[in-house]
This record gives sequence, C-alpha cells and structure tokens, in this order.
Amino acid sequence: MKRTLRRVWNRLLGSVRRPNADSDLAEELESHVQLLADESIRRGVPPEEAYRRARLRFGSIEATKESYREQRGLPALDHIAQDLRYSFRAMRKNRGFAAVAILSLAIGIGSNAAIFSVVNSVLLRPLPFEEPDRIFAVRELVPQINPRESIPVNPLHAQEWAKQCPSLEQVALMAGARAQITAGGEPASILSARIPHNLLGLFGVAPVLGRTFLREEEQEGKNRVVMISEPLWRSRFNADPSLIGKTIVLNDQNFQVVGIIPEWFRLPFGGGMEATAPNVPFEILFPLVIGKDQLRPMGNFNYGAVAKLRRGATVEQALAEINVVQARFPAQAGSKMDLKATMIPVQELVTGRARLGLWMLAGSVGAVLLIVCINLANLFLSRIASRKREAAIRTALGASRGRQFRLVLTESLLLALTGGALGVLLASWLLPLLLTATTMDIPRLHEVKLDSTVLGFSFGLTVLTGLLFGTLPAWRLTRNDPQEALRAGSHTVTEGRGGLRLRQGLISMEVGLSAVLLILAGLFAGSLTRLLEVDKGFDVQHILTTDIRLSGSRYSNAGDREKLFERVLAKVRAIPGVQTAGLVTALPSKGETWVDPIYLEGDTRPGLERPLVNNRFASTGYFQTMNIALRHGRGFEESDRGRSVGILSEKAAKLLWPGESNPVGRSFIGGDDKHKVLVGITADVRASLQNEAPPTVYYPYWQSVPSGVYLVARTSANAGGAESALRAALREGDPQLPIRPIHTMEEVVDQSVAQRRFQLTLVTVFAASALLVASLGIYGVVAYSVARRRNEIGIRMALGAQRSQLLGLVIRQGMIPVVIGLGSGVVVTFLLGRVIRGLLFGVQPGDPLTIAVVAGVLLTVGVLACLIPAGRAARTDAIAALRFE
Amino acid sequence: MSNKTEVWQGTLALMVLKTLNAMGPQHGYGIARRIEQTSENLLSINHGTLYPVLLKLEQEGSIASEWGMSENNRRAKFYRITKTGQKQLAAEVKQWEQATEIVARFVTMKGIKA
Repeated sequence: MKRTLRRVWNRLLGSVRRPNADSDLAEELESHVQLLADESIRRGVPPEEAYRRARLRFGSIEATKESYREQRGLPALDHIAQDLRYSFRAMRKNRGFAAVAILSLAIGIGSNAAIFSVVNSVLLRPLPFEEPDRIFAVRELVPQINPRESIPVNPLHAQEWAKQCPSLEQVALMAGARAQITAGGEPASILSARIPHNLLGLFGVAPVLGRTFLREEEQEGKNRVVMISEPLWRSRFNADPSLIGKTIVLNDQNFQVVGIIPEWFRLPFGGGMEATAPNVPFEILFPLVIGKDQLRPMGNFNYGAVAKLRRGATVEQALAEINVVQARFPAQAGSKMDLKATMIPVQELVTGRARLGLWMLAGSVGAVLLIVCINLANLFLSRIASRKREAAIRTALGASRGRQFRLVLTESLLLALTGGALGVLLASWLLPLLLTATTMDIPRLHEVKLDSTVLGFSFGLTVLTGLLFGTLPAWRLTRNDPQEALRAGSHTVTEGRGGLRLRQGLISMEVGLSAVLLILAGLFAGSLTRLLEVDKGFDVQHILTTDIRLSGSRYSNAGDREKLFERVLAKVRAIPGVQTAGLVTALPSKGETWVDPIYLEGDTRPGLERPLVNNRFASTGYFQTMNIALRHGRGFEESDRGRSVGILSEKAAKLLWPGESNPVGRSFIGGDDKHKVLVGITADVRASLQNEAPPTVYYPYWQSVPSGVYLVARTSANAGGAESALRAALREGDPQLPIRPIHTMEEVVDQSVAQRRFQLTLVTVFAASALLVASLGIYGVVAYSVARRRNEIGIRMALGAQRSQLLGLVIRQGMIPVVIGLGSGVVVTFLLGRVIRGLLFGVQPGDPLTIAVVAGVLLTVGVLACLIPAGRAARTDAIAALRFE
Repeated sequence: MSNKTEVWQGTLALMVLKTLNAMGPQHGYGIARRIEQTSENLLSINHGTLYPVLLKLEQEGSIASEWGMSENNRRAKFYRITKTGQKQLAAEVKQWEQATEIVARFVTMKGIKA
C-alpha cells in the first residue's frame, strides 16, 4: 500500500518535473546500446555490424521511450496538461473571442456572486440564534376582520398559551419604546424595546457583560434596570466595564445598567401591524411590565410574541394547542368573533418582506448568466466549426473521441475559470456598492459578505458554466465523421443545416430569456409609474416635515407637551416663506397605525366588531398644509378647544352612516368611548401608496396629547432657508429637544417606493445586458450564415436577384428564431405571472402594452442585428463570391 | 521462436532486484547481461523492456539511481537496491517460492488421465 502510494506520488512528480527527463533517458538508452556494441566490438565484430546487432538486441528505442514515458507520469494528468497548453495557445491565437468570453463570464458570474451573497446571508443562512428552527413568532388572527392579515398579540392570551400549551417551552412578549438619552453626547432619542426576563434566553443570547433581567424586575417599582447595546456602551460610555451596576439617566429617570447586549443582536420584532418585521438593532432594553388593566381577554392587541417549541414538538401541534386556548377568549369577553393564531418561522418573520423580491433578483441575474452561457456556446460552435478539419485529422491519427471531447471542455473550463476568478473580484467590488446603493428594505443586510460559501457557490457556478457552454460544441465536434471532413476541401468544411438549426435554437432561448427580463422590467416600471400617479389624497410639493419625540419626566404632563407643540407651531408659522403648518400623529404613506373602533350610540357589538378605523390626532392647519380636501364641514379650529369633536374620512363616514350624504353635525363615539361631534368630512388619504385608503378618523390632538408628532409645513415655492429656519424654531421651542432629520414630503413618499425603484433599476440593468448579449448573438449567427452562403448569394445575384430581395431574405431568416424566442418568452411571463403578482402594482403580468413595447424593442434590435450582415450580403459582388471558392 | 523462454510479466522486477542485491550497483546493460547469464541464455529479453521496470522500481523506492562511469569508461546510470527494495525482495522471493511450490504440486500430481 505504502509502495503504491509512493509510486503514485513519484508519478505525480514525474508529471510535473519534466525538463531534463527526456534527454536523461535518451542518454541512458544510448549508453546501453553503446555498451552492447562495445561487447561485440571486443569480440571482433566490425563496428557497423556491432551497432546493428546492439540495436536489434535492445529492441525499439522509441517504443521503450514511449512506454517509459507512459509510466513516468500520470497519463491523465499529462493529457490535462497537454489540453491546457493547447487551450492557452488557442486563447492566445483568438484573443478577441477569449476576451469576449472572459469578460461576459466575469460580468455574469460576478453579478451572480454578488446577488447570491445577499440571498445567502439574508434568506439561506440561519439567524444567529440557538436552534432558530424552534423559534416562532406568534400573531393572532380574527377571521371576521381579516382572514389573511394577522394582528399583534394580547398579553393575557400569550400568558395563557405559555401556561396551557404543552408543546411550547416558553413564550416571550416584546414591545417597542423610545428612550431619550443625554449622557455622553448630544441628546438623542433611541430605539428601544421592553422585554421580559426570558426573552434573551429564549434566543440563546447571553449578555457580553453583566446579566439579563430577573423575573421580579417585571414588576412596577422594581423595573428601574436597563440593558444597553455594545455600540451604545462604546460610543457613550467608553466601553467602561464598571458601568454595570451604575445608574444612568434615561427619559429623565434613573436606571441601573445590569447588562450589555452583544453588538450583533437584532430582535425580530413582530409587534407591528404587518406580519413581517425588520430585525431591529434595539439599543436599549427595558424590562417589560404588564399592568393588570392590560390583562383582559380580547382587550388590546399590541405586543410582539415569540414562542419556542419544546424539543420534538411540531408547529402543527403547537398551533393546534394555541387555537384551543384561543377559542375560549371571545366567549369570555362576550364577543361572537372567532379567534385564532398563526405561527411564523422567525426567519420568515425577519425576511418575509424581502423574500420574493430577492428571489426575483436572483432569478433575473441567473437568467443573464444563462444567456451569456448560451451566447458563448454559440460563439464556440462557430469556432469549433472551423476546427472540424483539424479534429478530423486528430481522429484519423488515433485521438479518441473522449480525448477530443475533453480537449474542448478544457478550453471552455479554462475560459470559465478565468472569467469566474475575474467575476469574484468584480463581485467583491460590486457588493459594497450594491449594499450602500440599496434602498431595498432588506433585513440582515449588515451580515452580507463574500464568505467561503459564496466562493464555493461561485466556483460551482463557474464549472457549471464552463460545462454548459462547452458540452454542446464538444459534442458537435466529436460527432462528425472524420472521413467526410477530410474528403471535403478545407473551404467547404462547414456545418450542415443541423448546425444552423442548433444555433437558431440557442438564439431563440436567448431571445426568450431576454424577453422575460424585459417584460419584467417593463412591468416594474409600469408599477412604479402607476404607484406614483395614484390619487394619494394629499399633496407632496413644497412640504417640509420632521418628527418631534418627547420622552422623559419633563414632558410627562400632557399640558406641558401641548404648550411645547403650540410654541413650536407658532414659531414655525412665523417663518417667512411658511404658509401653513400643522401637526399629525402619523404621516400619510407611513402605513396604517393606531386602529381603533368608532361607533354610534346604541351599538352593542363588542369592540372588535365595530367599524375599525385608523386614528389620527391633528392640529389646526394640518388639512390645509397637506392639501387634503374637505368634502363637507371644516377642519379643526382653535374654537374646538374644550369641545369634543372629530373629523371622518369619506370612507369612515360611510361606515357609520351608509345612507347619508352629509352627516356633519351628528355625533359618534370614538376609541375613548366618548361622544364626538362630527365637524367635517375629508377626502380619503392613502396610508401607503400601494393600498387603498383606509377609513380614518381625526381628532384634535389636544384631546389626548401624544408624545410624538410629525410637524408639517407648507412653504412658498422658493423658500430656500426654510429648513434651517425650521430647525431654529424647534431649537427655540426647547433647546434640549433632540432634533430629528427634516425631509420634504416628496422624500417621504419616495422613501416608501424606494424598494420598488431599486428593484426596477437592477432588473432594468439585467434586462439591458441580456438584450445586448442576445443582439450580439443574433448578429453572430446571421453573419455566420451569410458568410456560409456567400456562394449561394452570388448565384442568386448572378441570376438577377435584387439587392432588396437579398436583404429581405437574410433578415427573414435571421428573424425566425427571434420571433420564436419572443413568443416563448411571453408564454413564460404568463406562467410566471402568479409568482410575481405580489411585486406589481396596478399592472397585470400579462399587460398587453408592456408586451407590445417589449416585442417592438426586441424585434427592432433583432432587425438591426440582422441588418449589418444582410447589408453585407446585399453588397456582395457576384463574381467575387463565385470566385471565392 | 527458439527454445528461449519469454519473461513473464512481473518476474522481471524480481530478477532485477535479486541481481542488484547480489552484485551491488549496476547499470542497465549490466543487469540485462547478468539476467541472461544467470538463465544461461535460456531467457531472452529485449534490453529495452528493462527500462520501464527500472522506472517502476525506482518510483516505488525499491531502487535508486545515479550517473557514474562504467568499467570501460562510458557514462552510464547505475542502479542500486535500497532498504525498501531489500524488504520487498525478501517478500517477493517468499511469495515466489510459495507460488512455485503450489504449481509444482499440481504439475507433479498423479491423477486419472482423461
């Protein structure tokens, strides 16, 4: 065994260390023959005869050398080396082809590697938690309200699940919060969460320093403890380890720091209205205290919840158990509704929103690479065709078909590997660019990197690519009959109709894939345009906005908050150039929030069965500033102070008074169970661009002064310094107030479509490159076929064919595969329709306009690509063409 | 062909090793001659066939080679047996003896002739 290994090793060396070996052997054999001859000469044989005998005795020197060589190295390895040398020579000889191939492969593989590293980190790599597949987000579901959209969790319900469901190991709630911090820097308002003692343990996350919360810290009075994130600890407290146990001031109150959370920790926060949640890097964690008043069945639903399954339990079991518990709550609350729950794998919760979009991008970029592959196969086929004679000679000289096959594959793999290496370099440069440019709402983006998995993927992809575009030409080359190829003269050794048809098939595939990408890009473009043109119900021009967040004991009093808001409003309204200004609790286009019921006197249905509407608290001047139309009545006025009033959107008014056209003056009951006099009805306003406007109720903000509002100010067309004036006004209102970024309303709306815009940009780039590659492919095939048919064209001309006829002939033939490809591309898009519908807005996957435009573009490009070679054919000089043979 | 015997595949290696073990370092020509002499010229080998065998043995580490001068002042490559080679030789000799013994038993076996 050892001997065999040693031999293999030495043969391996023999394959590598070559230079003197041959001359060495020659010398050795020569000396052997010499010695043999010497012997004969000594015996008196004449030298000439002695050498003859010696050679006879020795046997064939060449055969010896041959079998010696066979054994010296590893023949397979030697062949590869030979093939490689041959391929390098071929590449050098045909630099143009090599450059095109390597570059297009580099771009194809590079962009695939870049997109894959995003897909891998975001969708494929498990979250960095302990046993993430046992962790699920739980949300509640009231089928009568909306059978598809789940809502956040009621704390009492969650407590009961933990007690009664044997499949659940633990359940933890969480809620968002804001904390104002002043220590160690500018006052800032920081994203924070309230969590129970078991949440970090559930995720298997340990603090970097200190401890996590204790169970008793979930009680009011014992809850003045806090955990802060590593970055915050570093930036504001110089990473001082003695901070643990010390007291810091948050929201003007003292908290004892008990632990530091690791920097990478993100909380998959599921407490929002949507069933997906970004992985939030909360910087401050407070203990979650749940008051007795919140523990009512069917009461408030406003917590995120995660549950960890017991080992061995299945989700189905757990969900069934939860639903049994759920079924009891409505009856306890006197409601006739059903109550269910859904469980979402935590990974999906985090990536849900980005999933479809990312897969779509991955698919598109994969299609681009496929097109590149097909195109190279095509180019390679033409090159191979000119090598047929050479291949035939090789075969005739005894090269096996397998060997010839390998030779072609070696060349394609060599090209692919060079392209792939370049591609990975490209990706390493492209990826940071992509990550900074992206406006896609992609969670876990900070985790994205070019790691070994990506390198492995790229390598695999490279080899696959090389095989893909090498196999077909290799097969074509080795299939032919050497006799036939040799018998024919060198000029006429061209492929027959089969070869042309093969290439036309490839062109159809290229065009088909390009068509799919183009249609996709067209649909996205259409979606975006339509989204921006949608009747939003408000204006976006000349409006500046910022948000004001008040926290801490200085503003614990509603009166103090109101005074500050009024002070700021007065200062802002006094800015020259500001026409009107107002406050509101949630800006349009920022999504639906604060959903509460409204009802009429005498409605005995339980809360959730009453009309649910978005609640907004606004100041005077808000509707005017946003240019939200008043259908009836008026907006809020100073004289409404002390009165209980409300304004409804048209849809909300229809919910209460379906039959009445102008119910202004009547009264309804709001979320606080108090009577409100309806003073106005406004136009419907979209809460997010892609969704229909939700029914909305507006109350004057002073009825329940919020701690956070958005300030909006309408400026005159060219109010240049308005932004800094706005900042100054806020500063004057309260110098300690953290000032948040100021945006134009256009930016806010744009932000809400940024994801679509980014997707559109990428898909457009992919589609454009696909189109370019495909048009090169069309050109190549048509040019080749024209060159091949030069003779025939000459004859046609000699027989009197008009130039225009020839032009038509070439274009017609060139366009056949284009038309076939276009047709199949359209069919594929129809089939894809169901999948991509979720990414579209206001456009159907089979949108005839988009398809017509794409067809027009593709056909035009196709004709242009045919035109150059067709023109060449038409200019053919009949005599020259006939003499060409 | 004459009454000379062709060399069986595989046995040549054994002969080479044995020769080198008995005579010390030798060049290819010397080895070939020695084999012919030992077999009293009953065995005919094409001297060329020796070289692939030498290569194989060298790759296995059983022999080593070095350029030197022959007795009549010709440059030649000299082969010598290594420690590994001696071990291998011992093992192969044993194997060979066993094989021949078995074959001999069959050949000398007295049975019913068909």
